[in-house]
Amino acid sequence: MTVATAPAPPVTNTPPSGSSRRGVLRWLLPLGPAIVLLALFLAGPILWSVYVAFTNETLTGSASVNSEFVGLANFTRLFDDPNFINSFVLTFVFVIGSAVIGQNTLGLIIALLQRGRGRTTRSVVNGVVIAAWVVPEVVAAACWFSFLAEEGTLNAVLGISQEWLYTAPMLAVILANVWRGTAFSMLVYSAALSEVPKDLVEAAAVDGAGPGRRLLHITLPLIRRSIMANLMLITLQTLASFGLIYALTGGGPGTASQTTPLYMYEQAFRYFEIGYGSAIALVMLVVGALFSLLYLRLIKVEDA
Amino acid sequence: MRRTLAGSLLLLTAVAGCGADTEQNASGSKELEVLYKVEPTWPHLEKMLTDAKKQYEAAHSGVTVKLTPVQGNNEAYYTKLALLNRSPDSAPDVYLHDTFQVNADVAAGKLAPLDDYLATWPDWKEQFPDSVKQAAKGGDGKIYGVPISTDTRGLWYQKDVFAKAGLPVPWEPKTWNDVLTAARTIKQKLPDVLPFTMYSTKIHGEASTMQGFEMLLYGTPEGTLYDEAQKKWVAGGKQFTDALTFVNTIYREELGPKQADAHNAKLADKVNYEWFPNAKLGIALDGAWTASAWKPTSTKPWAEWKDKMGWTVMPTQNGEEPGAVSMSGGWVMAMSSYAKNKQEAWDFIAVATNKENSLTYSLGSGDLAPRKDVAADPKYTADNPSVKFFTDLASVTHYRPAFEEYPKVSAQIQEALEAVTTGSKTPEEATADYAKALPTAVGGPDKVLAK
Repeated sequence: MTVATAPAPPVTNTPPSGSSRRGVLRWLLPLGPAIVLLALFLAGPILWSVYVAFTNETLTGSASVNSEFVGLANFTRLFDDPNFINSFVLTFVFVIGSAVIGQNTLGLIIALLQRGRGRTTRSVVNGVVIAAWVVPEVVAAACWFSFLAEEGTLNAVLGISQEWLYTAPMLAVILANVWRGTAFSMLVYSAALSEVPKDLVEAAAVDGAGPGRRLLHITLPLIRRSIMANLMLITLQTLASFGLIYALTGGGPGTASQTTPLYMYEQAFRYFEIGYGSAIALVMLVVGALFSLLYLRLIKVEDA
Repeated sequence: MRRTLAGSLLLLTAVAGCGADTEQNASGSKELEVLYKVEPTWPHLEKMLTDAKKQYEAAHSGVTVKLTPVQGNNEAYYTKLALLNRSPDSAPDVYLHDTFQVNADVAAGKLAPLDDYLATWPDWKEQFPDSVKQAAKGGDGKIYGVPISTDTRGLWYQKDVFAKAGLPVPWEPKTWNDVLTAARTIKQKLPDVLPFTMYSTKIHGEASTMQGFEMLLYGTPEGTLYDEAQKKWVAGGKQFTDALTFVNTIYREELGPKQADAHNAKLADKVNYEWFPNAKLGIALDGAWTASAWKPTSTKPWAEWKDKMGWTVMPTQNGEEPGAVSMSGGWVMAMSSYAKNKQEAWDFIAVATNKENSLTYSLGSGDLAPRKDVAADPKYTADNPSVKFFTDLASVTHYRPAFEEYPKVSAQIQEALEAVTTGSKTPEEATADYAKALPTAVGGPDKVLAK
């Protein structure tokens, strides 16, 4: 990734050397406690989990008190583990399906449809969509569980008997996540669309561009940076999504909806292999970082 | 700015205070923390410990017992306990422990041996049978827990369902095939009755391994997880595949619960509170304690269970000697090696597991009593005609190879079971994957006996 070299900001006000220590103290003193707390409770655990990923640490048994450094053993085991590969593929499907396609497109469509509507329509639609976003993950999962369960609403409406969470678990969690997360994309796009100059769109309309062309050639190019930013945010959010899937299917049946965060949890806290679990977490971190780099890169290319 | 500083300092002090030692507070009185599990439908242990707390505190002034419940099923309890045990500061002094987890904690030095205390406790010598004493024996031969329960396992069946399906009552299956035939008959004659249930998914954790898989594996000729002679774990083999094939047959022929129910954490509640009382289920492979769900002390008593329910042995595969199979485990009260007040902790264990409190627990939970005087108490057998049968199963019962690695082996078994339950793998594939995963689980290929 290239960083644009900007000229160093001009130094305007160099304090006399005597007061420079006081100057440091001025910001360090009030910040100090926060820095200490952050180092203790954020950086500490992160560094610890990076270290643990290279050991055979477990939560019970002799390795829980005498763990050994095992080098890359956890990682070689990881990439030879069919369950991990499976979880990785499912995570990919989940992110693409629910975030990149589902939330992103649906959010954009809702935001587009809302343009120029009356105040009442907007507040009703906004209210409904945002309500789904506001409810806690577990509550959302409970709602979807009762909707998809065998005696649930969906089967009652369709008049059939189908165990949706077992016959189509990935589809179920993807739909639930789209339902829950669309509000975020909608808000981002509503804000972005309000910045699109009306005269530009009208001029295009006068020139004979239909709604499709106006969207493709005027609106979307103008909000492209919001699209990228939104994609990055929801991708990272969805990549780490745990609660919704855990409460809805528990990763099952079998491993049919076990995305990597769920697999990580199972290894670390059910099978007590905290070292192996941390290795999975580390790989997830790298994947997340790669995704962000990719999006940042795309934004940069746009800017160039 | 000064105010910010003062505030931050206050916060830091508070944070530091969290780690402070609470074993002995300012007034010199001591505190014992006791960890246990509780569920809305399983209040029995809480009842027993609350009684024990009252008795203990009355007799030992200056010591407070702090009861810390963990809400949830066994799996949730194991995780919570393992996390609390990570640090001496958070480890409870006394806790409920599943016997199959004991050796892992002994290896880590997290449990205190009780032999010195037991030697001074007449009850141990007089009331606990030798077989029960082994329940929490460490690899070093020391005892690490006082049993509060033991158990055996077998088949429960609904007599009304059997009568309607034209099956004999009392029912005495001799082979696995007899069990499958009965299930098929029920499916054929009574389409809206579920023929058979067992635990076979990861959500049921150790129950799937023990009540489900091991009840089958140990019923095959020479079927075992661990070869005692060679001191190695057995990597699958025909017996393993056969056991999985039974499970496969149950689910592929739709003799078992629907997938949604098979994966439901509350399957046992459905079986015991809904399906059996409403004659919607034929046979269940489950533990001796099942009847406690129907007793007057239960949340949903079912008075007629003594007439409507039958119980029988789980047969061996082809009727091999001794004709029946059972698995035994159980729970103990154990003491943490981090406990600061060990004598007080022991005294509490002795009170909690005395005759009176053991009886309270056994009557509520329906678990088999580890103490002779409780087993002989008329109250214990009076309300439960199935107790004698399940107690006698001790003659054919097997114990799990409770080594440090066992929980990891159990996890691999659950993987295999669930794969067969959902049909994502054939029994052969699941066995092969188990054999492949076993060396990692037990710590090296030299600890595995290839089949």
